[in-house]
Amino acid sequence: MPLAAAVPAPPRRRFRIGPRLLPYLLSLPALLVCIGILIPFGTAIYYSLQRYRLSQPWARSMNWGENYINFLSDPSFWNTLQVSLTYTVLTVGLELVLGLGIALLLQKRTLLNNVISVTLLLPLMTAPALAALMWKLMTNPNFGVLSYLVGFVGFEDFRWASDPSTALLTVVLVDIWVYTPFIMILLLAGLRSLPTQPFEAAALDGVPRFVAFFRITLPMLMPYILTAALFRMLESIQQFDIIYAMTQGGPGDTLTVFQVEAYLNFFQSTNVGRSAALLLILWAITFFFSNLFIKNWLRLRERARGEH
Amino acid sequence: MYGKEKDLVHAFMRKQLSRRDLVRGLAAMGVTATVADTLIGMATSEALAQDFDWTRHSGTGVKLLLNKHPYTDAMIANLDTFKAMTGMEVDYDVFPEDVYFDKVTAALASRSSEYDAFMTGAYMTWTYGPAGWCTDLAEWINDPTKTAPGYDWKDMLAGLRASTAWSGRPGDPLGGEGAKQWCIPWGFELNNISYNRRMFDQVGATPPGNLEEMVETAAKLTRDLDGAYGIGVRGSRSWATIHPGFLSGYANFGQTDLKVAADGTLSAAMNTPESKDFHRHWIQMIQNSGPKNWATYTWYQVGTDLGAGASAMIFDADILGFFMNGGDNAEAGNLGYAPFAANPAASAPTPNVWIWSLAMSAFSRNKDATWTFLQWASGVEHALFGARDMDFVNPVRQSVWADDAFRARMAQSYPGYIEQYEVSAPGAQIYFTPQPLFFDLTTLWAATLQRMVANEVPVDEGLDQLADSVNRQLKDAGLG
Amino acid sequence: MEHESRLERWLRGIALALVVTFFMFPIVWIVLMSFQTNETILRMPPSLLFTPTLSNYEALITGRLVSNAGVLEIEFMSNLMNSAILSVGSVTIALLLGVPAAYAFARHQFRGSEDIAFTLLSFRFAPPLLVLLPLTLYFQELGLADTYVGLIWVYQLICLPLILWIVRGYFEDISPDVEYAYRISGHSWWATFRDIALPLARPGIAAAGLLAFIFAWNNFIFALVLASADKQPVTVGALAFVTASGIQYGQIAAAIVLSIAPTLALALYAQRYLVEGLSLGAVKG
Repeated sequence: MPLAAAVPAPPRRRFRIGPRLLPYLLSLPALLVCIGILIPFGTAIYYSLQRYRLSQPWARSMNWGENYINFLSDPSFWNTLQVSLTYTVLTVGLELVLGLGIALLLQKRTLLNNVISVTLLLPLMTAPALAALMWKLMTNPNFGVLSYLVGFVGFEDFRWASDPSTALLTVVLVDIWVYTPFIMILLLAGLRSLPTQPFEAAALDGVPRFVAFFRITLPMLMPYILTAALFRMLESIQQFDIIYAMTQGGPGDTLTVFQVEAYLNFFQSTNVGRSAALLLILWAITFFFSNLFIKNWLRLRERARGEH
Repeated sequence: MYGKEKDLVHAFMRKQLSRRDLVRGLAAMGVTATVADTLIGMATSEALAQDFDWTRHSGTGVKLLLNKHPYTDAMIANLDTFKAMTGMEVDYDVFPEDVYFDKVTAALASRSSEYDAFMTGAYMTWTYGPAGWCTDLAEWINDPTKTAPGYDWKDMLAGLRASTAWSGRPGDPLGGEGAKQWCIPWGFELNNISYNRRMFDQVGATPPGNLEEMVETAAKLTRDLDGAYGIGVRGSRSWATIHPGFLSGYANFGQTDLKVAADGTLSAAMNTPESKDFHRHWIQMIQNSGPKNWATYTWYQVGTDLGAGASAMIFDADILGFFMNGGDNAEAGNLGYAPFAANPAASAPTPNVWIWSLAMSAFSRNKDATWTFLQWASGVEHALFGARDMDFVNPVRQSVWADDAFRARMAQSYPGYIEQYEVSAPGAQIYFTPQPLFFDLTTLWAATLQRMVANEVPVDEGLDQLADSVNRQLKDAGLG
Repeated sequence: MEHESRLERWLRGIALALVVTFFMFPIVWIVLMSFQTNETILRMPPSLLFTPTLSNYEALITGRLVSNAGVLEIEFMSNLMNSAILSVGSVTIALLLGVPAAYAFARHQFRGSEDIAFTLLSFRFAPPLLVLLPLTLYFQELGLADTYVGLIWVYQLICLPLILWIVRGYFEDISPDVEYAYRISGHSWWATFRDIALPLARPGIAAAGLLAFIFAWNNFIFALVLASADKQPVTVGALAFVTASGIQYGQIAAAIVLSIAPTLALALYAQRYLVEGLSLGAVKG
């Protein structure tokens, strides 16, 4: 335990910084553990700069940026980019709206609400790969209970993940089912920790509730919304389990998101160079977006602190 | 072994007793057929051991990487025989089929020496072989000091021996000159029709004799049956959609996936007029009488539907139909089997095959001991045990197909199975051109099929686009 | 919010009922399937009428599946054990490493603190495929291949960033005044952390730990690539019922139920912390 090293710190006046080293000592173990795991990341960058197919070892050579440059003229890459972003925006957006709505419904601290909020976590506890398997059965036109039920409301011939026009919707639906609870629980926690005075003041002033919601609740909830959206975005843009288990990226190229493409490139085509380049681009996109989120998050927190 | 039973088995070994009398005799002593076969297996192993020193690696161990499969179950059920005969230890890791090949690729790509041998398909060795991950087994097969005289390599079906051997030069024929034996056939499946006899009788249909008839029969079944559809074929975005019924029918019209030029370069061949015609029929068949969720259909859904009575027939692996005729499937016992030649002008079916094979890891530290295991696992005795008592079907050895007990079992519970096999066996082989882009190109092909079935692109245009992409990829990889 | 109209209460009730139906229906259906054989699951049309059977659970728990092909061994219970070892182990380590770091980021503005915090977050989105294969090689050299320790280390990529960022927000919410007072009265930094900060942050730590636990529990690519069959978690184990001779839906459903149960128990136990604990980034006046 590196903490032990920090014990002898003598109590100074308040703790402005304590011993200058303390925060580093506290955070470094975490950093080191992760960096240790990520040493291979460098290897991956090296692979991405190579022409490297495991099935053609004789043709392996450095081609520097060629894998990346090839993407520019590769329609399947642009399709992948577009599908991944669409998927991310759709899932994160819908889950935020739904998650917020449910959190608002459950805001009051009653036993029933608490129990419901925990039971709603059940989809999140189901491993996505297995959940997708079950959804695939439930949407099967012969034995699937969902296919059967939508048949009653007039969608006799609904093809779910099998039709290009509904495949995206279907996987988004499963994603919503699995991950909305995650957002719900984070936002519920946020809602319940909001101070009550501003709302009471607004109620006294006769401010309509929906105005209060947009003027007070939403802004105060923003840091929570950002964190929830950030963690969901990280997962969603990297979605693999649900999409692969339900459609393998099809029909056609409808759902060839980054991870599916990279997985097929790696494990089936064993085209390591292309796969690594794809994943590094994905990593760069994620890095960019999360940086954006974090900057805003920090700013919001600073501002909020300043106001009080 | 228990005394009295042992004498009986030895009498059988000396050919003083027929197998049926033996089993009857053992049954009288309260020995079940399975145990009887184990006894026979042990006794044959003893006999085997007389010509060859099976114990030379006694005390060593091998570790296997296996797919969760009935073949694996059969092997594990018989493993004690091997251990007793050789004094070797056998460890194994069994992984679910869904993730099995990911595990294999990961283990081999990291050059792990953990596994000595593993299960594979022939297509996968087109990557593993050139990548230097598996060993040319011809070295062992042809070495009389390492292989028992009774192994009888030539007993393996010729088409399968060839289909698992390749020189590694893209476009070279399988089993051709300079071919290396990357793996040993273990069990295989060929693609034919499995159909629900009850449903066929109900609407007065007979198994179709060619593609036109298949399209019509499937349509008739869909129309006349209440709730079941005509024909199940796979449709997911994967190589697995192309290789079963689809390629078997395609090859029957003399069509190939790629053309190999005199200088060895490869180019797409799936946009010929004959190919376009074939695709049109196939797509029409799926649209009119295939599963509604076709584009998500894999082995599992195709099989499940047949077994549960949701589909009237499938054009897929014969053993898929075999599995669905047993277990807790609703239609177990109702299924029949028929050979299928898509081309009316063809003289016989040309089923493309999937061969579950055994390969030796190039990183194994004890290759001779590993070979001892491989030759037992792919030997006649184990094949007989598996075929008679377990679901180690289809056998890859002629002698097993000739075995009375096996034939009797099949004839009794699987009507038409042996017949479809015998008609198709001469033409059963891999019809793909071996080359390192196999998975890229077949996935592309499947994705194009999906777009054509969804009417997103007309057949002619779709196939021309496919050929363009295939040619581009081949060029990129330095093959075109 | 005290004075809800009756209409509003009704609407709220209906909305909640819809939400619960949507999220619970598949779960209920899975539970029902777990009491059925494949034969009744695969009926057309699907139906609620069936004779319940415990055979799926029996097969999973006893580890023996008796079928007409003989007796098959099922490793499911050891898979469940592996999941428990891996998840508990990695969450524990992540808490030991992550909570002090979170405290450092929350209480001390030090040079590079935001950069380090962000770097830690960025580990969360390193695509596993990129890292795993080279990692297999290094692990073999380090002797970590196919060990729980090695796996738990890799699992930090899932657990540590999540815990760090949630707990950090929670620490920032707690007013530092109490801690100041405690330290001024002569207590060491460590004593302050242990006696004041940690107990105050307990709900946050519990909630973050639970979420990390769920994500660790659901992972399967790490163990699949890095470990042999005897160290696979339930997520891989349940796939064993997808076999060449058919998908055993009943057993998969039972496997899902059994694999959810421990997490659900944990969540119900930590229920009162769960919501309160996730109030990261809360801004109190």
